[in-house]
Amino acid sequence: MNFKKVLACVLAGTMVFSMGAVMTAGAASEEDNKLTVWTWDPNFNIYAINKAAEIYAQDHEGFTVEVTEIQSDDIESKITTAVNAGDLSTLPDIFLMQDNSFQKYTTFYPDVFTDLTESGIDFSQFSEAKVAYSTLEGVNYGVPFDNGAVVNCVRTDLLEQAGFTVDDFTDITWSDYMEKAKVVLEKTGLPLLTAQAGSPDMIMMMLQSCGASLFNEDGTGNIAGNEVLKQCVNNYAQMVADGTLVEVTDWDQYISSLNSSTVVSTFNGCWIMASIQAAEDQSGKWAITNMPRLDDVENASNYSNNGGSSWAICSNCQHVDLAVDFLNSTFAGSTALYDDVISKGALATWAPAGESDAYNVPVDFYGGDTVYAKIVDFATKTPSNATGAFYYDARDAVGVALSNITQTGADVDAELEAAQETLDFSMGV
Amino acid sequence: MSKGKKFGMYLFLIIFSLLSIFPLYYMACAATNMSVDVSRGRLIPGTYLIENFKTLIANQDLFRALWNSFRNSAVLTLLCLLICSLAGYGFEIYHDKAKDIVFTILLTAMMVPFAAIMIPMFRMFSKLKMVNTMAAFMLPSISTPFMIMMFRQASRSFPKDIIEAARVDGLSEVGIFFRMFVPTMKSTYSAALIITFMNAWNNYMWPKIILQTNDSITMPMLVSNLLGGYTVDYGMLMLGVFICTIPTAIIFFFFQKSFTEGITGAVK
Amino acid sequence: MGKKKFTMEKRHNLTGWVFLSFGVILICWTSFYPMIQAFILSLQSGLGVNLKFGGFSNYARILKDPTFKGTLFNTFFYLIIQVPIMLTLALILASILNNKDLKFKGLWRTCIFLPCATSLVSYSMIFRSLFANDGLINTFLRNLGMNPVMWFANAWTARFVIILALIWRWTGYNMVFYLSGLQNIDYSVYEAARIDGANARQTLFKITIPLLKPTILLTTITSTNGTLQLFDESLNLTNGGPGKSTMTMSHYIYNTSFVQSPNFGYAAAMSIVILVMVAILAILQMKVGDER
Repeated sequence: MNFKKVLACVLAGTMVFSMGAVMTAGAASEEDNKLTVWTWDPNFNIYAINKAAEIYAQDHEGFTVEVTEIQSDDIESKITTAVNAGDLSTLPDIFLMQDNSFQKYTTFYPDVFTDLTESGIDFSQFSEAKVAYSTLEGVNYGVPFDNGAVVNCVRTDLLEQAGFTVDDFTDITWSDYMEKAKVVLEKTGLPLLTAQAGSPDMIMMMLQSCGASLFNEDGTGNIAGNEVLKQCVNNYAQMVADGTLVEVTDWDQYISSLNSSTVVSTFNGCWIMASIQAAEDQSGKWAITNMPRLDDVENASNYSNNGGSSWAICSNCQHVDLAVDFLNSTFAGSTALYDDVISKGALATWAPAGESDAYNVPVDFYGGDTVYAKIVDFATKTPSNATGAFYYDARDAVGVALSNITQTGADVDAELEAAQETLDFSMGV
Repeated sequence: MSKGKKFGMYLFLIIFSLLSIFPLYYMACAATNMSVDVSRGRLIPGTYLIENFKTLIANQDLFRALWNSFRNSAVLTLLCLLICSLAGYGFEIYHDKAKDIVFTILLTAMMVPFAAIMIPMFRMFSKLKMVNTMAAFMLPSISTPFMIMMFRQASRSFPKDIIEAARVDGLSEVGIFFRMFVPTMKSTYSAALIITFMNAWNNYMWPKIILQTNDSITMPMLVSNLLGGYTVDYGMLMLGVFICTIPTAIIFFFFQKSFTEGITGAVK
Repeated sequence: MGKKKFTMEKRHNLTGWVFLSFGVILICWTSFYPMIQAFILSLQSGLGVNLKFGGFSNYARILKDPTFKGTLFNTFFYLIIQVPIMLTLALILASILNNKDLKFKGLWRTCIFLPCATSLVSYSMIFRSLFANDGLINTFLRNLGMNPVMWFANAWTARFVIILALIWRWTGYNMVFYLSGLQNIDYSVYEAARIDGANARQTLFKITIPLLKPTILLTTITSTNGTLQLFDESLNLTNGGPGKSTMTMSHYIYNTSFVQSPNFGYAAAMSIVILVMVAILAILQMKVGDER
């Protein structure tokens, strides 16, 4: 065919479409009974918010939510962009935010959020550690949603080969844990843990399990000379050296190790269970318990948290009362909602939900254990710690230190000193 | 050419091609396997394609994303070819000192990291009430120094005596461009089309900031949605990625033909 | 007559300006205007939206920032190693594929182009799994009786993987420009050379390279620019790790704006520094390669 003709036809055709597209765009609906929501994951958060809307609509005729699927990073960058461009009108009524990001956004962009302290939502019914994420200087900015309580998932069949049961890994200390890890390695040839190289997730969980963090009460960095942190890093490095913790290159490899039986256990936020359950042929071979606690540290516990997120109402929301009432009667008031979303693996941090029957159902995949009730129990025992506005800066700095220590055998004190300097540099603007 | 040389040449091409298509093979296999098999590293085709496709369309508005991506990329590409070839031709054929200086200054425009101008640009379009419009998505990439330079460099091989002859024949300057230049530079247009289409198709950073409704979802946004959850369904993800790759490959396959045809028409 | 010629020239000159005006105006609007805004931003310091005028303090901060220096080193390292290898490979492939007697041209071309059409997500996943500790590459090394390499655990091997990935992905892309440029060279020139008994290497150096010079300049400038602004590979392949030893400048700028506590003034200042560096390199390359 003639090149020019093709070009002309396509040009003409697409121009017509583009005109149409430009004309229709921007025609926003002005319904008073509709809320716009930004969140991610159709099988988890999106499902939950739609379910919540369905429940709410039963008493509020005509109520709908319009959900836009946007990845969590992208929600954050869109908020950042909108605030810096001085145009909040592009933001939705409600958005979901990662708990770890909450402090950063409420500190630097408080204008984006609606103050929920006096909204009538009873925050005391949520686990204290969870609420702390979305609270800044006593002001509540978020309605807690999913649970990130740390679970220690272990392969009972592999432990058996090493002569252990789940109970041998329950309520134990790190020194005990690390010794047993060596036995497991010796007997099964498999590491007890795998971790994503360069990711300080495990360190952060260990820190929180004793209520410690990378920050002091006054918000300044607490990395250099932080004895608890040092113990966490040492434990981690020791396990790498023992071969009982194998670092893999990335997240996909980490998931792969769980699914393909090349690791005996893992501890992470309870949402990791969905990935574990993907390997249906391993049903009945897994069990859930709590994570080890640090030796000789004040307030040390076997419980921690990783991940999870909370709902926020944007200051730009035109129907704040509706949005508050919606969240209050669903995520902060409906056991029916939590009973339903449990099927997707979304676990509540709202205490009344944990008493429901749905949480006491035995799960065959984990040997018939009532794992959901267990996790809700873990969540309530989790110590709260300070995340702070500079959480990601601090985390990054510790990540660099950690990889230098494990890869090149660098001196722990010197590396933590350097990490502190990096953090101070970010903070000292 | 000697037999040995010929053999060497083909061997080189075969090895290079195999390395190049391996990821595509990997994607295609993964798209037909269950998530758990993909993450266990299975490298042979499976039987799970239909299921993956079903989950994909149940979770994501695949057809809308495909259509949006195609429409956006096609319009953008055609506008870009028109405006940039006009400018490149203008810079080269009528070149003088002033235009060369303007061109050098223009080049600096492609050298700012996008992260730095993202916010000013968003502010600009939001003031014009253009957030969520296709125009806002396209405008920043319609005219790029890179494409202008490509046409400027290519115009250099366009014989000047043809222009002179056409002028004597009484053809207008615009006429010379459309009747002589455009048909002659087919291979340059094809290369530009392939590259622009591909860039438009894969563009992710800007659309994710400027387009914020479900209706305007594009393929790269869809793929990133597949990665967003606590659990990633690798089979579905790879199917999405595979579908996202195919259109660019098809466009390339159809337009690369002009690379064999060489200079035709007017020049001979 | 003289007068008429003068006006003709003037008219052509004007036509030229009209032709390029659409493109130039668009670029001024969507690139230069935001660029000026970015420069103004670079003179402000503070976190989040609490910005105040800080003069050149952000630029002074760059000098004290070890992370910036590290990313600067990484980026230039990628540039110096990867760009020449990639462009040479692309040129060789293009001249092979331009051979009249070659069979299945469309197939070879499409195969070699495919990597750059491949979505970033899949290609980074594949590279990571290939170079994983128990990945295909290490299995291969083990079978050869060599020690497996922890590719992503060591700064230099991780940088090597990034360079390899870049070459893999962008060689086909650059090949497209060379192929289209080769079409503008009349085939009779090659015929003549062959009759004169020129071998493949002589043809490459005496005909192809000189005649492709404008295209080579184009690809050199864009690859330089692309590498200095490298972002995707750093983020998706290694996430800058181990530590920050493979992180590029653009990745650091992005992190400064969107991942860590938002410091837009500082990010803008670093961008301006990159701009100046790329501009200097581009002007040098133009000076060397753009004579008529």
